[in-house]
Amino acid sequence: MRLAIADDSGLFRDSLRLLLEQAGAEVTVSAASGPELLAAVRRQRPPDAVVLDIRMRPSLRDEGITTAVELRQLYPGMGILLLSAHTEIGYASRLLDAVPAGVGYLLKDNVMNVADLMSALGRVAAGGMALEPTIVQRLLSSRKPGRLDALNDRERDVLQLMAEGRSNLGIAQELFLSPRTIEAHVTSIFNKLGLDQSSTENNRVLAVLTLLRAGSQ
Amino acid sequence: MSRVAISPPSPRARYAWARIAAILALVAVFASGVEWPDWANWTALTAVNLTVALLFVLTGLLLARQPGQRGVAIALMLTGVCRPLDFVDAWGVGPFPFYALVFGGFDRVIGAWALLRYPNPALTRGHRRFLIAFAAWMIVTRTIVGLVATPQWEYGGPVWLPQVWPDPWLATLFSAIGYAGEGVFGVVLLVLLVLRLGRARRLDRVVLAPVVTAGVAAVIAAIVSGAAQQVHGAVGAPVNAYLTEGLVDIGLPLAFLVAAVQRELLIKNITWLIAEISDGASVAVIRDALRATLGDPTLDVIALPEAPPGAGSLSSAARLEADADSSGEDRLVEFVRSESGEPIAVIIADPTLDRYRGLFDVAVRTSALALQTAQAQAAAAQAQLAEVQASRARIIEAAQAERQRIERDLHDGVQQRILSLAAQLSSAVTGSSDPAAAAAFAGARQGLREILAELRELAHGIYPTMLTQAGLGPALEEVADRLPIPVRLDVPDRRLAAAAEAGLYFVACEALANVVKHADAAGATVTVAIGESELTMRVADDGVGGAEAPGHGLANIADRISALDGRLAIDSPPGGGTRLEVTIPCG
Repeated sequence: MRLAIADDSGLFRDSLRLLLEQAGAEVTVSAASGPELLAAVRRQRPPDAVVLDIRMRPSLRDEGITTAVELRQLYPGMGILLLSAHTEIGYASRLLDAVPAGVGYLLKDNVMNVADLMSALGRVAAGGMALEPTIVQRLLSSRKPGRLDALNDRERDVLQLMAEGRSNLGIAQELFLSPRTIEAHVTSIFNKLGLDQSSTENNRVLAVLTLLRAGSQ
Repeated sequence: MSRVAISPPSPRARYAWARIAAILALVAVFASGVEWPDWANWTALTAVNLTVALLFVLTGLLLARQPGQRGVAIALMLTGVCRPLDFVDAWGVGPFPFYALVFGGFDRVIGAWALLRYPNPALTRGHRRFLIAFAAWMIVTRTIVGLVATPQWEYGGPVWLPQVWPDPWLATLFSAIGYAGEGVFGVVLLVLLVLRLGRARRLDRVVLAPVVTAGVAAVIAAIVSGAAQQVHGAVGAPVNAYLTEGLVDIGLPLAFLVAAVQRELLIKNITWLIAEISDGASVAVIRDALRATLGDPTLDVIALPEAPPGAGSLSSAARLEADADSSGEDRLVEFVRSESGEPIAVIIADPTLDRYRGLFDVAVRTSALALQTAQAQAAAAQAQLAEVQASRARIIEAAQAERQRIERDLHDGVQQRILSLAAQLSSAVTGSSDPAAAAAFAGARQGLREILAELRELAHGIYPTMLTQAGLGPALEEVADRLPIPVRLDVPDRRLAAAAEAGLYFVACEALANVVKHADAAGATVTVAIGESELTMRVADDGVGGAEAPGHGLANIADRISALDGRLAIDSPPGGGTRLEVTIPCG
């Protein structure tokens, strides 16, 4: 997998590059900022996915999201994974609103599990999504009233794994249930959230967006 | 004479005293001369008469120094001079007995005039009519007596009397009628004097009381003396009655002197007032001091709002004056002006104080001094307060900037290094197939996760990252997510000044923590509305209400708000939820 990375901390960037290369990826660009990454990506064959730090110089705010939006416009099929030093529902929600598919939002802590990191990169490169489990957990445990109230405990578990980017099969394995049961739960979730009942990737994103919006209202 | 005592007497003042002494000496010579024949027979009476004459003249001379009292002063001096002339018949020659018969006692009319006039600038119409009638009655009846009288006893020499229609019986009759009438006038004068004292207000009463008391005594003595004279007959006038009347009359000039001293004492009081309030005093203190000193409980001092130069103050002053006029009540209105002539206050007082103009003016000037000092002190205190507020705002801002810096250092430094370390560790293990290394890494990974989580909490506690990165709304979302009750947020997606964001964030956190701890609420809302010049944040809950205003958390909130130059309002009726509203300037 060809990757581009951008992070304003050189130390972390270099470690990340080493880690990804050891895991078998080819890191074609290693940039210190969004504009630098964009410039470098334009000069060569686009990577399959990019890894972006959310908070970069010069603004130290949400450069990563701005860069993600620009990248998506330039390269609609490119997977985008944002890494952050801390979890923020507002960012996740803004990101998925702007870039609905092929996108992920993870804590930087995930570098400690390179297999998970690579699988998340694989999912976003394939047009799926990867959301930090702690964010999803917080959203589901939130006491805010809304559509999510209609979901039962089992459906919440399924939605959480869905938001992390798992397929129905992956969810089934995680929960020790049959894929058919998971499918039934997914249909029920779509139903309760007012989505049409086909288990398309689009609907999965919409379900997760519902979750995120419920959290950021 | 405190004003004189302040500085050594000027040559002019010494000259004035010399003049008084000279006049008194002249009067003494005159009075002694007029009553010369009586000294041998009626020494006591003559001495008393001389004393009365001198006291009247002295009092008149002293009173003449007080503003507006010249008329009364002249009347008193005239009384003093006329008094010995009443006894000029003692000479028993020429026209003197005729003069004494017709004009003797005319000093009583002049005295009555002084009694009714003092200390006012003019007589009332009623008093004037009374005095004219009194004088007319005396002249008419006494002239008739003079025209019909015959020499009754052996005079020392040839006596001139007109004897137009000499008839002792008629003379006795008209003398009786005249004296009876004079008695009636005396009684009326008594009534008028008592009424005057009864109606007198404030300082007038203080000054008038001794004068009226002495006047009443003198009038009664005069009536008794007149009656005695009538009972004994025109011949052989009762010396004791004259003596008593003379002794009582001594009280009259003394009373005027006491009144004059009273006025001087009032000025002393003002001197005391100056010492009391010149260090600067509030309007209320000045008002109370003026009320006590000027003896006017209705007196009021109204501070005029400070206006930009040349605007406002005059019109508001004019309005006050108009108000005082339109109230229908006759009031004395006086502006207290600063050194530059700007009106700074208005004193509204009883109109009788107008007669104590000098006194009142000193009081007004003293008040101006005190008010100016007070205003200067207030301005200094205000400036000090503003300085304290500004420095507190600076301290809070500096602390905030420092926290922000520490948070950034933690994030950019320690956190990135740990993450980098974690990645290196991860790649080292990925490269090795040693199971022992994998197990060691699993332990290290768990430790690193915990360190990172702790670091995140620490950084968040120091300064919420979201506040810097995304602003008030997202930062409050993060807060709301961690609370056990649902919180609705309505915060505009707009960045504010860093100090305002931090202050409002802190206030919202504190308020929401209070909601969770004390309100027993099912939910809360945080609403931020941004206006043109002001920004309002409202934190409301549906809990039990009854929040106590000076609670600890609220004190922290109030501190933060005042550092932002804002206002805090809390509405928390028992059972009706709590609404906390913060308004700060923005833009």
